[in-house]
Amino acid sequence: MSEMRDLEVRFDRACSLLFGELLPGESLAVDFGGEASHFLRFNSGRVRQIGAVLQAGARFTYYRDGRTISSAFEVSGDERLDAERAAEALATARREAPLLPEDPYQVLPSASGRSSEEFSGRLPDPNLLPHEVLGPGEAVTRAGADYVGIHSQGAVCRGAANSLGARHWFTTETFCVDYSAWLPNGKAVKSAYAGREWDPAEYARRLAAARPRLEALSKPEKVIPPGGYRVYIAPDALNEFIPFFSWNGLGERCMREGESAWLALREGRRSTSPRFRLSQDFGLGTEPRFNELGEVAPATLVLVENGRLAATVVSSRSARQYGVASNAAPEEERVRSPAIDGGSLDEKKAIEEIGEGLYLSNLHYLNWSDNDSGRITGMTRFACFWVEGGEIAAPIKDMRFDESIYHLFGDKLVDLSRQRSLLPDTGTYFRRGLGGALLPGLLVEDFAFTL
Amino acid sequence: MSSDLKRLLEAALPPNVQWAGLRRVRTSYRGYHAKDGKFESAFSGADEGCMIEVLHDGQFGYAAISSTDPAALRAAAERALSLAKSAAPLAVFRFGREVRPPTVLAFETPRSRRAAYGADVLSRQAVRLTEAMRISDRIVQTAAGFETRDIEVEIVSTSGADIRQRLHIVSCAFQAVARDGSVTQRRTANGMMGRTSQGGYELVDLERGEAEAARIAEQSLELLSAAECPSTRADLVLAPDQMAIQIHESVGHPLELDRILGDERNYAGSSFVTLGDIGSLRYGSELMNITFDPTIGREAASYGADDIGNPARKEHIVKGGILVRALGSLESQARAGRPGVANQRAQDWFRTPIDRMANLNLEPGESRFEDVVGSVEKGVYMETNRSWSIDDHRNKFQFGCEYGRLIEDGRLTRTVRNPNYRGVSSTFWRSLFKVGDASTFGVFGTPNCGKGEPNQAVTTGHASPVCAFHGVEIFGGAS
Repeated sequence: MSEMRDLEVRFDRACSLLFGELLPGESLAVDFGGEASHFLRFNSGRVRQIGAVLQAGARFTYYRDGRTISSAFEVSGDERLDAERAAEALATARREAPLLPEDPYQVLPSASGRSSEEFSGRLPDPNLLPHEVLGPGEAVTRAGADYVGIHSQGAVCRGAANSLGARHWFTTETFCVDYSAWLPNGKAVKSAYAGREWDPAEYARRLAAARPRLEALSKPEKVIPPGGYRVYIAPDALNEFIPFFSWNGLGERCMREGESAWLALREGRRSTSPRFRLSQDFGLGTEPRFNELGEVAPATLVLVENGRLAATVVSSRSARQYGVASNAAPEEERVRSPAIDGGSLDEKKAIEEIGEGLYLSNLHYLNWSDNDSGRITGMTRFACFWVEGGEIAAPIKDMRFDESIYHLFGDKLVDLSRQRSLLPDTGTYFRRGLGGALLPGLLVEDFAFTL
Repeated sequence: MSSDLKRLLEAALPPNVQWAGLRRVRTSYRGYHAKDGKFESAFSGADEGCMIEVLHDGQFGYAAISSTDPAALRAAAERALSLAKSAAPLAVFRFGREVRPPTVLAFETPRSRRAAYGADVLSRQAVRLTEAMRISDRIVQTAAGFETRDIEVEIVSTSGADIRQRLHIVSCAFQAVARDGSVTQRRTANGMMGRTSQGGYELVDLERGEAEAARIAEQSLELLSAAECPSTRADLVLAPDQMAIQIHESVGHPLELDRILGDERNYAGSSFVTLGDIGSLRYGSELMNITFDPTIGREAASYGADDIGNPARKEHIVKGGILVRALGSLESQARAGRPGVANQRAQDWFRTPIDRMANLNLEPGESRFEDVVGSVEKGVYMETNRSWSIDDHRNKFQFGCEYGRLIEDGRLTRTVRNPNYRGVSSTFWRSLFKVGDASTFGVFGTPNCGKGEPNQAVTTGHASPVCAFHGVEIFGGAS
């Protein structure tokens, strides 16, 4: 049985074990996720750790008599063990639910649709991973750099079902080499090669493309004094800002509870540039449209355009609580499959358009520094350059920035690149991530560096 | 102790394996949350799985599955061995069995109240806390919650390791958000999950919680009308709950030996510290004494042995301001040829152990709180982290706090909002000029320190007295 099929069997088993036990008056929604993954971690072009993880988990929400409680269990593939785990989890939910206060904003499952998407891939033989991944990495070593990173691959799945009969299934086989090449002077370039069809020639081509940037990074570094600079924020660097559309971001509940840094945009106290347009676009094809209740989001949802907030992401719970329409957001109301429209700048002319300033390939460790003013702080990281006379002049010593979203996406935004990059979610907390973002580069003036 | 696990390991092994180990992790967890005087959410769950690890020609391979079915374990062992064989010719280092010691040990978190409170008690207490914080129309959100985790880790190996650890972790959190016009201020109880400790249900305070919640709400209102923190270079006094993240980010992470060895360069980052610095670097002033101590009963990251079976001991990391030892596991110690600690830890059964902090603490000094503040002519006192950021070499940091007070002529005066500060790690620690005594000591934890590829989030603990630093760049929140 293929790994994707094995995961689907586990999903269906978890659903039948739970739904088969339901009593009159009980409702249930099942949220399922799993993976059959291989991981190869490498340092200095050699293997640091190698292994395999097979995991599948069912998290369900149980509703009865106005009470709501969630529970979860691992679905092991062992029928007897899975039956025991499902029964124990359901028994715990039944035991605890009557002890809880009434859920004032309970939303019973109401969706009943069904869908199934399966994307098979062509991945390297797991037993040949060191050779497949680190062999071409020797090109980096020949360029005088250390090759560091992680390769992950295998099947990933998500499923959702509810007691009204909704059933949604999404599975894909993917790989991702998330890598960086380090020079002895501590400078590095970073990139990722990800997809469903492993192509050794394409992988080798991408590694070879790192060479010119490594040569530029081998020049003496320039120390930049704090101040405002004209910068080009490349798509990989812009990707570091994506979590800030969700964290204290564009969720309806977050707005209502006063914690959104985008509140000034909603209330018309601040605006964004007319050039800036943000959407949720499932056409990217990197993650499913359904949420944990089995609700299916619209294919696209415009969030910010023409300088104003066009929509928030709204879960059914928030819809009930605040009397607004749901757009089938997950309960935590994060922005999924974000896409920022391109502008008129030719990416190839970005350095020329900077004139004098900074080319930012990558940023690091961003955090809100002041919610009310929408300020975010963070650091420059890989392959960031000083640009002079429209040409790369020198790598820079790492700098701290502290800048407001209302400047970055507002009055300091000069243009966006016409070309956009699809950047996959490379996160692996708890399980390998799905999703991605379609992003241009941003040309910004007077971007504030502080340390 | 773990005879069933030993039998499972023996039955799973392919022939002629040089070394193998099996780590089983069983976790049960529950949580109850309230908002604005109403129920918000409840959850409970269980998680169980195991990782089998095989050593072949100096290279470990691992495979993790969520059952102990003998046939599945055999397949996992064969998978781990096959991966180790494929990688051995390209190993970054050839490890021996000595990095998986044959430790026999049992450990359990000390608890004075072992019987769990029911879902009714915890959920209604969360509701009561949120009600206690609704003291004004300007309070726009109140939230509270309790979460517990009971974790059992068992380790056996072909060389004789036999370890069983039972950890009990309790987190309590509450917060109030106040708003007046365009100004919003959030105040929490030592951060959203800062009150994460090991222990029993004695950590859930059913009697004094509401009074403390009301005080938190009052401070959120107080911040609405407070002046912005001034932009200045002045002395900085940090409360223990802010010292926790200062230690975590600017001492803990840069001293993780796997970062120094370059393993983390592609993700969490490297370090400004080099191998040559260990034993000689002046990291901070003479008042700086940092210890690694997983043996403290109540602190969040306590254990008897790490996840490769290395017994835990208290060790000085920085002594009198000098870096004496890094946070490196047996694997990192073998690679670096430097001393370390017992800190190779994994998030769960599906992640392999790496170098982590555990409990990393600043030892108390001799100054009372009044003496620390009294030694400052012009400065700012800050409590409770709300924003954190530091570069990938752990040099340039910027932290924001929830609550500040000006210090003028040795006395705490006006409250200020949006207090922030920034600096460079070792420069900052060398400016440490006062360390509070045991009466100022606070113990905190975080349940979600992220690191590693694949990514892992683990619990860490940090304890510190109040501390004072000279000449720090301080600023407020104006746009």
